Amino acid sequence: MRIPSGLLLFALLCNVLATAQNKQLLYDFNEIPQSLMVNPGVKTSQKWHAGIPVLSGLAFQGATSGVTVNDLFANDGVDFTTKVRERLLDVMSDRDDFSSTSQIEGITVGFRGRNRPDTYYSFGMYGEMDIISYWPKDLAILAFEGNGGNNIGRSFDLGDLNLRGEMINVFHFGINKKIDNSLTIGGRAKIYSSIFQFQSIRNSGSFVTRPGQNNIYESAISADMQLQTAGIRGFYDIAEEDTGTTQKDVTSLFTERVLLGGNLGLGLDFGFSYNLNTQTTITGSILDVGFISNSKDVWNYTLNGSTTTEGITVFLPEDINNVDNDLWQELLDDIEEELPYGENDSGYISWRPVKLYGSVRYDFGEGGRGSVFENCGCGVNVDGGNNRDYYRNSVGGQLFMVKRPKGVQAALTGFYQRSFGRVLSLKTTYTVDKYTFTNVGLGANLQLGPINFYVLADNLLSYSNIADSHYASLQFGFNIISWNNN
Amino acid sequence: MKRLLYGVVLLAGFLCVTTSCTEEQDFSQIDDLSITPILASGIFYLESDEDTINSASSGGPFYTREVNFDAFSQDYVAERLLEGTITYEMENTTSKPVRILIEFLDEGGTVLDMEVLDISADPSGVVTRDVFYGPGGKSLDILANTYSLRIRALNLGDTSSVSSQDDPKVILRSGAEFLFELQ
Repeated sequence: MRIPSGLLLFALLCNVLATAQNKQLLYDFNEIPQSLMVNPGVKTSQKWHAGIPVLSGLAFQGATSGVTVNDLFANDGVDFTTKVRERLLDVMSDRDDFSSTSQIEGITVGFRGRNRPDTYYSFGMYGEMDIISYWPKDLAILAFEGNGGNNIGRSFDLGDLNLRGEMINVFHFGINKKIDNSLTIGGRAKIYSSIFQFQSIRNSGSFVTRPGQNNIYESAISADMQLQTAGIRGFYDIAEEDTGTTQKDVTSLFTERVLLGGNLGLGLDFGFSYNLNTQTTITGSILDVGFISNSKDVWNYTLNGSTTTEGITVFLPEDINNVDNDLWQELLDDIEEELPYGENDSGYISWRPVKLYGSVRYDFGEGGRGSVFENCGCGVNVDGGNNRDYYRNSVGGQLFMVKRPKGVQAALTGFYQRSFGRVLSLKTTYTVDKYTFTNVGLGANLQLGPINFYVLADNLLSYSNIADSHYASLQFGFNIISWNNN
Repeated sequence: MKRLLYGVVLLAGFLCVTTSCTEEQDFSQIDDLSITPILASGIFYLESDEDTINSASSGGPFYTREVNFDAFSQDYVAERLLEGTITYEMENTTSKPVRILIEFLDEGGTVLDMEVLDISADPSGVVTRDVFYGPGGKSLDILANTYSLRIRALNLGDTSSVSSQDDPKVILRSGAEFLFELQ
């Protein structure tokens, strides 16, 4: 199957613009088969489903917890340097981030076991790109203001450099099992095929220029920094060679990496849904508990050591016989020796960003089809299952947490969902997180016979000026779904 | 009718997503970004005891050295140098006046500029001189073309007197603060 290059380009572009990983609209929206990907233990009612290749699940998310595009690039007549200083340097902290996550589902298939109708199997393949870069506040100020003037005596934290990114292809297989009328559990195993990965997440050190013990100024630097990369040098070398077959070589390498030819990893997802009573359900899931072992095409850069300099120093009479005139070069050499820049190809483990979801949902508003627990006729589900066929409305709350390089990032969501038979379901959410307090989202799932279409969009209030948005997210896809009765 | 209504709502939502608005953005503004950090560094430190000074003849040099110094003449630096100040500080607790000459030499050894720093005998206090380079000051070309410094320290007093201070010394400190235009 050949993915149109325009689509790929679009996905990559969206990646650059996107941030965050929360899929609060999709979570527990069990009319959409892709909800299995955010909770393997979600209630399933279909007999089987198949995603339309490449179009079954496209998700683009982008966020910035600090400055927005509009803050900097609005055509407002304000001097750009002033905007950078007032809206970026003076405001953003080292915990603010720019991040981007996107997923393209290549294949997704699910089916109910013929002899195990209480078990729903699903498998597939999707590509994911995830990049996060924290605002390197001190390094930005150092570049913008320098170490002189008012910054004499200021210690710049080199640990502010903190970024991580990867592009992977994921092969997965999941099992969703209804234990009884109250409990559904699920798990998913994943093989990660890494296309590239980079991280610089455990940096520490400082740089300070202060009045010297002897000279007017002394500069002291202490650094323990590392940038780890895997899979990048291969692409870089192809670009550098410039042999005329660059595009072909890149495609070939990309394809190889997509199909398990690069660094590999393993991961697991778990989830459950539990009915506290006929109208109240709690759910939870933990995703991407896994790692990638990076041993191929690894190239790491290190800066490790400490040094203090006051410039060229001459003490008499000790140095009276030192006739060397390369004192400046020696000073630079000494600094380089004490603060060596290194490269190595040592393999490393990169951990996936673990995500955790939880929710509580209350169904109400009788008037749907059938009676409570009457459902799709799927095995155990014959006499129990999806209350949404009976209760038209659901209201509840969701919690999302993701492990980021600088700690856990959380989001809290309240939602309301309404079903209109099997044809249409709408879900609206209000989410509070570090990016925005005004995130209202709307999702729709449309079922026309076996054809399923869904679209989920976040932070709708920002769409009046998308450039001023701290958070934007769009997911949509097409599936074919079959129940026993169709 | 109700379904139609919800259908319209759904369609409107979808259109909202696909036809969202944005204020006019001008990405060419990034060309106007001005990044002008002030960089500070110690340059040269000279310290001499009184015995070393006494070892030179009266008026003669007790220290002479030519050291390479191309910090400002590197292309990347020279092209971005806007203005700045080199600060010299002298302190003398010896019994004799001292003169320190700092000559800025180009690649061929031609003297581009010279600073003459005189300090009296103890008690001298701290003598500071700020030399400004840039508009209204000395030419930045001096620094941009400097490849080495010739430093000479002269004993302007006798060769035998000894200060009553503990551990008498003459000290020259120097440091620079310069404004660069990175973008």
